[in-house]
Amino acid sequence: MIDLKNITFDHCLKCTVCTIYCPVARVSPEFPGPKQSGPDAERLRIKDPGLLDDSLRFCTNCKRCEIACPSDVRIADIIQTAKWKYAGRTFRPRDFLLGRTDLLGRPAVRASRLVNALAGFKPARILADKLFRIPVDRPLPRYDRGTFERWFSDHASSQDGFERKAVYFHGCYVNYNDHALGRDVVRLLNALGFGVTLTREVCCGVPLMAGGYIDRARKNARHNIGVLTRASGEAARIVSASSTCSFALKNEYPNLLGLDNSAIAGRIEYITRFVHRCFEEGPVPRLGPLELTVAYHAPCHLERMGGALYTIELLKRIPGLNLKLLHSECCGIAGTYGFKSEFHPVAQEVGRDLFRRIEAIRPDVVITDCETCKWQIELNTSRPVLHPVTLLCQSLDV
Amino acid sequence: MKYDCIIIGGGLAGLTCGLKCLDDGLSCAIISAGMSALHFSSGSIDLLGYDPPGQVVPAPFETLSRFIEARPGHPYAKCGPETIEASLDFFRRELLAEGLEICSNGRDNHFHVTALGTLRPTYLSQASVFNERIREAFFRQPRIAVLTVKGFRDFHPGLAAANLRRNALFKDCEIVTGQIELPWFEQTPQNPHEFRSIDLGRMFDSGRGLGLVAARVKEAARGAVFVGLPAVIGFEDYNRVMKRLMDLTELIIYEVPTLPPSILGLRMDNALKSRFAARGGVFIAGDRVIGGEITGGRLDHVHTRNYGDSRLRAGHFVLAGGSFFSGGLVSEFDRMSEPVFGLEMDYQPGRGNWYSPAFLDRRGHPFLEYGVKTDQALRPLDRHGRPVENLLCVGAVLAGYNPVKEGSGGGTAIATGFQAALRVAAD
Repeated sequence: MIDLKNITFDHCLKCTVCTIYCPVARVSPEFPGPKQSGPDAERLRIKDPGLLDDSLRFCTNCKRCEIACPSDVRIADIIQTAKWKYAGRTFRPRDFLLGRTDLLGRPAVRASRLVNALAGFKPARILADKLFRIPVDRPLPRYDRGTFERWFSDHASSQDGFERKAVYFHGCYVNYNDHALGRDVVRLLNALGFGVTLTREVCCGVPLMAGGYIDRARKNARHNIGVLTRASGEAARIVSASSTCSFALKNEYPNLLGLDNSAIAGRIEYITRFVHRCFEEGPVPRLGPLELTVAYHAPCHLERMGGALYTIELLKRIPGLNLKLLHSECCGIAGTYGFKSEFHPVAQEVGRDLFRRIEAIRPDVVITDCETCKWQIELNTSRPVLHPVTLLCQSLDV
Repeated sequence: MKYDCIIIGGGLAGLTCGLKCLDDGLSCAIISAGMSALHFSSGSIDLLGYDPPGQVVPAPFETLSRFIEARPGHPYAKCGPETIEASLDFFRRELLAEGLEICSNGRDNHFHVTALGTLRPTYLSQASVFNERIREAFFRQPRIAVLTVKGFRDFHPGLAAANLRRNALFKDCEIVTGQIELPWFEQTPQNPHEFRSIDLGRMFDSGRGLGLVAARVKEAARGAVFVGLPAVIGFEDYNRVMKRLMDLTELIIYEVPTLPPSILGLRMDNALKSRFAARGGVFIAGDRVIGGEITGGRLDHVHTRNYGDSRLRAGHFVLAGGSFFSGGLVSEFDRMSEPVFGLEMDYQPGRGNWYSPAFLDRRGHPFLEYGVKTDQALRPLDRHGRPVENLLCVGAVLAGYNPVKEGSGGGTAIATGFQAALRVAAD
């Protein structure tokens, strides 16, 4: 019997619209595009896994094909699943390391100065490129000192006074690389009258899925579903300020990992959606004017999930802000994709138009919801990049 | 979230409506589930190509009043000739602002050539398909070359030329065919058969090697002054690429629409969306409206698959979800429905009545005329048969016209979209 979990490939009309909007097919002749790698090739693969075409590794899982598809085919899901379902497993130290953000993060935050210095040390990077195929030109994320969880537990008592609570899924980036964003999230939620609680979360699993470590990803996902279900027992909202973490918890767990997340799915919200709802219900905290020109870049996964609108609506509420919406397109980095030497040139080429448009607008800051989009835009433009929550906090401070 | 107008559907009708709303100073959001039928269209706008007996209409505005009088239920009758003309002018201005020039043959129809080499009457075309120079050159009955790109699967000059030769309009033309090899193919490991229109369009956009392409076109044209090529001559930078190619070859180059994805249609889609964004419209892509609440004869809000329990509110809503292909209408074994609100449909029950057994029947297929029933103001009836005050239906979701048989699809989308925006602004 052929095991068919996702039979949406059968709804494909072969219209090729997805391929028009595929950022990778646009720049790389090596990727035949989502239609061919997804629904077309799936018909062959289900009969004979030996017909697996290696070119589907070029897919970044940005999901733009699914946004474009007029027939609701889950094209990117088909491609992602095929990557690990039909391909033999080969151990790659790099993919293992990139996938295990927590394994790397925990020791790195203990010696953040040393790690950051090493990450910027050219000979070490050349060696890393040679040994692990991590591109020299791609700056590695900087590590903060200690973990955000540690900071939070030191300040947890400040959350006791709030009657209403929100569970905050902070993600690895906040925990190891950007405590300031985590503190801003707490501040913003407090300003809205919500106390924050954390759970014993682990990495959402996105980098593991990207590396093909699917069993490990499932293990993480089961753990997260478990702790979040227990923590949000009183129908509390679960908030994440990472567009990709929220997308994974909400959509990738059932669609890619085949797990039942129904206990939490309805309560997971990307932060701007949560904040927007609070604003609608009122009272709205006072937002001070920010005389800035900002360009907003909507991350692919937030667009797929449906949520860019909330960020845009919140930004519009900041007085004095001159908001420019960037043309909807992929920045190219796609999480760990841009950290792989073989894909780095593709990642850079995909984002070229976006970078050009940003430079043409000359904004004071670029706003985006995703940490890896932030790295990519900061690497390729002269502009600083902030999270919308940070900007909202700045406005609260005025 | 609240807007003056929320439009369900981001195709030709929805985008025209959205642009007119913004033009009138209204706030507007479009929710679009997947890319629209423009991606499969010729990129020309048909207004009224054939009269009821099936004869070609030479000048649509001369027959439109009579046509409307005879068919009071037709969407055109709900707009009126003045609004139809104003909508087309508006449409052309909006596209021109994005650099896409749309030409007409005065107030007459003109023909555009299909990939099969047949002629279709149409009213508006992109400059690479119809302009004064093309018209004049054609009257001199020039030697014509129909060329393609070597390896390209979606256009076959032999087929097109064979049909053109059978056409009386071309009886004094000598038609030659040929193919050119693109220099870009020499630098890629791929087989030329793998390239689709969009890949070729982007190669032209790069602008590199155009001199060599021009030399090959000229050689393959074998003395013809008029060259038909598949519509792949630039996707974004088409104006500059086309001008350079014509300057370099000193030939008149004509674009023939290809199998999907159709670059002529894509250019239009791109220009409309860019214009909509530039005017401050909110375009939500890849999301589907799954329902809404109608109370007291008014649609209060809609919800979408992605936005879940969030209510998207608006003073007015416009349903522009398209026909069966786009999912704006749904057919089951023996019934048809409008899936978002369950609006009352105008159709003949019984599957046997829906289509003619002859695929290319000149009388057309009846199902193409089925759709949502509306009053003269484009307002529909809800599932209980009660009118919905602030919901308007536009484009292919409407009943009462046959876009294929009449050659009226584009015109209906633009005119009704424009008309709906006028009504929203007037309220």
